Amino acid sequence: MSDDAATPTPDPTPDPTPDPAPRSAPDGATRIRVVVADDHPMWRDAVARDLADAGFEVVATADDGRSAVARTRATVPDVLVLDLNLPGLSGSQVCAALAGAGVPTRVLILSASGDHQDVLEAVKAGALGYLVKSAGREEFLAAVRATAAGDPVFTAGLAGLVLGEFRRARSAASPEREVPELTDRETEILKYVATGMGYKEIAATLFLSHRTVQNHVQNIFGKLQMHNRVELVRFAMERGLDLEERPEPGA
Amino acid sequence: MSVATGGPQTPAGPVLLDDEHVVVRGLWRAVDVFRVLALVYAAYSVWERRAEVAHLSVAAVVLGVLAGWTAVQTVRPMRTVRAYTVELAIGCGAILATRLVDTPEVITGGAKTLPSIWPSAAVVGFAILRGWRGGVAAACLVAASSFVEVVQPTANTVSNSIFGLLLGGCIGYCVDLARASHSALAEAMRLDAARAERDRLARTVHDGVLQTLAFIHRRATDLGGESATLGAMAGEQERILRTLVSQTDLAEVGRALSGDADLRTLLRHVETDDVQLVSPADPVLLPRRVADELVAAVEAALDNVRKHAGEGARAWVLLDDDGRDVAVTIRDSGRGLSEARLQEAVGQGRLGVSSSIRGRLTDLGGGAVITSGPAGGTTVELRVPRQPSHPSHRPDRPARRGRNDRRGAP
Repeated sequence: MSDDAATPTPDPTPDPTPDPAPRSAPDGATRIRVVVADDHPMWRDAVARDLADAGFEVVATADDGRSAVARTRATVPDVLVLDLNLPGLSGSQVCAALAGAGVPTRVLILSASGDHQDVLEAVKAGALGYLVKSAGREEFLAAVRATAAGDPVFTAGLAGLVLGEFRRARSAASPEREVPELTDRETEILKYVATGMGYKEIAATLFLSHRTVQNHVQNIFGKLQMHNRVELVRFAMERGLDLEERPEPGA
Repeated sequence: MSVATGGPQTPAGPVLLDDEHVVVRGLWRAVDVFRVLALVYAAYSVWERRAEVAHLSVAAVVLGVLAGWTAVQTVRPMRTVRAYTVELAIGCGAILATRLVDTPEVITGGAKTLPSIWPSAAVVGFAILRGWRGGVAAACLVAASSFVEVVQPTANTVSNSIFGLLLGGCIGYCVDLARASHSALAEAMRLDAARAERDRLARTVHDGVLQTLAFIHRRATDLGGESATLGAMAGEQERILRTLVSQTDLAEVGRALSGDADLRTLLRHVETDDVQLVSPADPVLLPRRVADELVAAVEAALDNVRKHAGEGARAWVLLDDDGRDVAVTIRDSGRGLSEARLQEAVGQGRLGVSSSIRGRLTDLGGGAVITSGPAGGTTVELRVPRQPSHPSHRPDRPARRGRNDRRGAP
């Protein structure tokens, strides 16, 4: 992809056809297959073109939440690049729908607003990473590759949100210990990520291997999503109890 | 789907707002009815004891005046202080006029006053107009008139006066409560409308301006040269706008009243292209004074980053609230410094770290730890205990001293 990146495209008008058009040689027999979902045609086309230029295969695009789910289910790509604020279904709803349907596609959230709560919801619902739209092209492509490989794309901002979420869960649910907690090591790593350190730097600081740090990060994500499941169950239970207590809410 | 909810719900607001003091309006109607019934009762009372009344014709004239005023207030109710002052004067006058109608023996014997319970309407009126103070004041006047009228207070006079005071006070208090809750409701609705409007704006900005700015930023950076400069400008505006739009917290108003401040909001201004603020999704609340000191310490630490970290260094400011402590970690990707050099600098008082940062934190009962990682970069961790666990810590004084310290420093 480096040869492509070296020659910047001087034409900023969006490509009308973001269909799979292999323009550069893929760096392997199997190319990473991607679905791009964004309601802004400008963005959707630019992202799709960047991906195609870099040798990814864009198998479909979608402009709202429902078609994002439908096309992802139909094509089962490696990565879904998902805008957080789609019409129809929100980012977290799309993630939940895909997880519910058992689609193995990994989701990378792309958001313009960086709205904290929404990002957190989407990650809890199963998204593997989050990037602000203002991130550079190389950063974006690297993020798609990492997502395809199953590595969480963990920016400092997201790490801060996740850390806050675990803190909140601990103070909120002290009586029942059903919410998975982070180990001290995991908290330490999360704080390092949240202050902008890369895995390599963290590994050097803690005298760990790069792979070990990655495993810790994956565990953190796993616990976060588990914790979402616990919350869902509790939510359902509370609803059930509520209904039993007040069978006739009309007063 | 959320777009549609903003519009239609707004018209419902003003309708309820205009319906001012539902409770109060009900009370006014009750007063109007009560006045008529009280007049009938007063007339009946005089009629019942007509045998012992010395001057029936005078009594008829007084009752006529009461009836006239009652008619006026029933046909065209006047709910002003002036009208109720007149009514109160008529009521008190009628009480005093009992002296002209009855013989002293009958009065001392415990006979009812001429207007009986009629003056209570004026007491309630004042309670509605002026709250519990107005009600009690009017009741005092009525009671005073009764005492003057009987000369030698009877058991009835005392209990009626107490009853009047209670009536005026209680109804006035209820009216005060109703007014307060009404204005609280109005305020809540105003906040709600403001939030809805802001959400609408935020959505518009998000869908249009932000996306476009981000797009320009990205494309222009790819193009390089002068375009890259333009792109950087677009990126800068995008960041500022995103920060503005994401301030969804109107609850901030409420917190400002309670004296707590959200550290996330207070630290928002430190964010630049090179400095990233990393915070949880929930507010990090601290007492205003503590938060201000902490913000000043963070600013001092970032000043150090600018001075010492070198060209192109980036910095991250992480807020972490673990329930017991609030920690702010400032890390930069700069040159870093060896522990020995750090100690040396502190010893010579050269680094602002020792005075303005450590000093502030110690004053707040917390501390500051400065480390340098093997991969370069300096990390400053500021830690402040949450107030509930340290309620008895030294108050304002030391903190103010810290601030002066900083001003004095170069």
